Amino acid sequence: MGKEALLRVENLTLSLKTREGEIVPVREVSFSLSKGEAVGLVGESGSGKTLTGLSLLGLFPPGSRIAGGSIFFDGEDLLALPEGRLRTIRGQKVSMVFQEPQSALNPVLTVETQIREIYQSHTPLSGEEISRRILEGLRAAGLPDPLTVSRSYPHQLSGGMRQRVMIAMALALDPLLVIADEPTTALDPTVALQILALLARIRQRSGQSLLFISHDLSHVRRVSDRVLLMYAGRIVEEAPSARFFSLGPRHPYGRALLASRPEGGILTRKEAPLQAIGGQVPPLWDLPPGCSFAPRCSRADALCTSTLPPWNGGEGERVFCHHPDESPLGAPVHAA
Amino acid sequence: MRPDLPLLQAESLSREFDLPGGGIFARKRRLEAVSEVSFSIGRQEVLGLVGESGSGKTTIGRMVMRLLPPTRGRILFDGVDLTALSGRALRAQRRRFQMVFQDPYASLNPRMRVREIVEEPLVVHGIEPDSSSRRDRVARLLERVGLSSRDMERLPREFSGGGRQRIGIARAIACGPELLVADEPIASLDLSMGAQIINLFSSLVDTDAMSLLFISHDIPMVRYLSDRVAVLYRGRIVESGPTRDVLDDPRHPYTRLLAEGTLPEAGEAAPSNAGSEPGPTGLCAFLPRCDRALPECRLAPPPRLSEGEVREVLCHLPRGESSWSPVTLLSQGSPSDVPATPSR
Repeated sequence: MGKEALLRVENLTLSLKTREGEIVPVREVSFSLSKGEAVGLVGESGSGKTLTGLSLLGLFPPGSRIAGGSIFFDGEDLLALPEGRLRTIRGQKVSMVFQEPQSALNPVLTVETQIREIYQSHTPLSGEEISRRILEGLRAAGLPDPLTVSRSYPHQLSGGMRQRVMIAMALALDPLLVIADEPTTALDPTVALQILALLARIRQRSGQSLLFISHDLSHVRRVSDRVLLMYAGRIVEEAPSARFFSLGPRHPYGRALLASRPEGGILTRKEAPLQAIGGQVPPLWDLPPGCSFAPRCSRADALCTSTLPPWNGGEGERVFCHHPDESPLGAPVHAA
Repeated sequence: MRPDLPLLQAESLSREFDLPGGGIFARKRRLEAVSEVSFSIGRQEVLGLVGESGSGKTTIGRMVMRLLPPTRGRILFDGVDLTALSGRALRAQRRRFQMVFQDPYASLNPRMRVREIVEEPLVVHGIEPDSSSRRDRVARLLERVGLSSRDMERLPREFSGGGRQRIGIARAIACGPELLVADEPIASLDLSMGAQIINLFSSLVDTDAMSLLFISHDIPMVRYLSDRVAVLYRGRIVESGPTRDVLDDPRHPYTRLLAEGTLPEAGEAAPSNAGSEPGPTGLCAFLPRCDRALPECRLAPPPRLSEGEVREVLCHLPRGESSWSPVTLLSQGSPSDVPATPSR
């Protein structure tokens, strides 16, 4: 990693009070993000990926507390900042695109009013200048008729258009980092691909860093330079996208995820069953003592069930596993 | 049972909905969510129904389930016209076709135990009136879907999404249906659960001889599971045929987009219902997004063409090719002088 780190998360651990007792949904999470880099954070629901993303905005759900670690962003320790300063950073330096634009947008305000608010609370720009930038931003987000869109209410727009509006809002103040949490999940497949292309194009042009949170491996593959794989609250593998998708993940969980999709090589049900991962993600209040994936892992032995794995490898390419799978991937994985 | 017929035949199904608005004197605005849709599902066959949201795929699933009456058209199940049945006669047929819903969190009664959920259809249809043999049957059903008979007295909330979907499938197959309709059955499940559920559907078809209408926007999964596929766009089937043929050699430009998963950086399409009100022109609904449009696309509605009676496409493009010829349907209402006989 020659480039300057914009973000450095170190041993971030978050605990959360639930009915089942105190759980740790994010555990010893460390990673960094360079300027202009796109990193995909992959995991299933409950893996901690969304909470990790929110913590970068200094947003923590009720009942949660930071049990350890630090987040350095653009030279500042986010966890030590007062709320006022955090709010400035949240608007101007880091922004977020959410999964469901229909619930993230205010239904009773026009698009223009909502974007105008962002400029008014963060910049001294004149009303006229703000209007100009709103239209420019909507156009840059791939909305061909920005004037009509700006006068619309969210319900008058399609899902894809709403997501483009969200992206225009996230980019309004030209932030250093955009966090996109499942931005394509609620969209139709063809629209999702357009949004991915838009994210890639924007990043190319303005050099933002992108943290792309998703459970869809084919989408992560399209936009990310690097992949972080999470399981049961921990990062279990970090690898350059090219390595992860062509040679294959080294963590058996990543391997199994790729193989469980038909893109992994099996073409029809007549040929073979999908290689499903048996069992299910363990509940966070009842994690096994060793590796969390061990109960579902085909490579697990006594060591895995009793002892936490070590990190194999260094920053940028590492795996949290006693027995990483170093064999190159069998069948080529084609993009879906 | 009529083994000579496809298990299910949908003939020219249409469904309109009233739109809000319109006054005493204004004409009521109507939305045609599904237009002239015809398809069939053979025994032990999987038909994949793909399309974007607003394309009408859920409406079609609900019409097939007889949860929603079609505005026009017929649904023949094993040769019996379901749209003409009601009351007792319909109830007698219902056990033969069952639905698996998208959201296993919303479709199971949270206060009912697994045993009660799975045995309810058995009770309703009067199958296994003896409670101990019913209990045995529930145990077998749970084991069939990968759960255990020990799960009988548990509540849905004690299960993950995948576990709940298994309960929903056990309920759906309780009466031994011949057809399952599954509307996005893995869309709300975790990544590692999807493959387990798809494998379960495969074995219900290939081992237990059920037929499946698999409604999904997950193209790789549709390719994996379906024998044939029908592609919906704005309420019409724009292409259908054997899955491999359609997805490996798509003939409709929209299918091409779906199958290749690559898109030109185009602007956003109009909101999905804007174009589906019955227009005066009847021109191709995909025209505004089409990058291969011909001059005739702007002049005349797209023809329905077929190749070898197994593939169909609603598009002008293959018209010049000798292997593709026009299809005539009973209620197509086209000003054609060809005798109106069904071609299939």
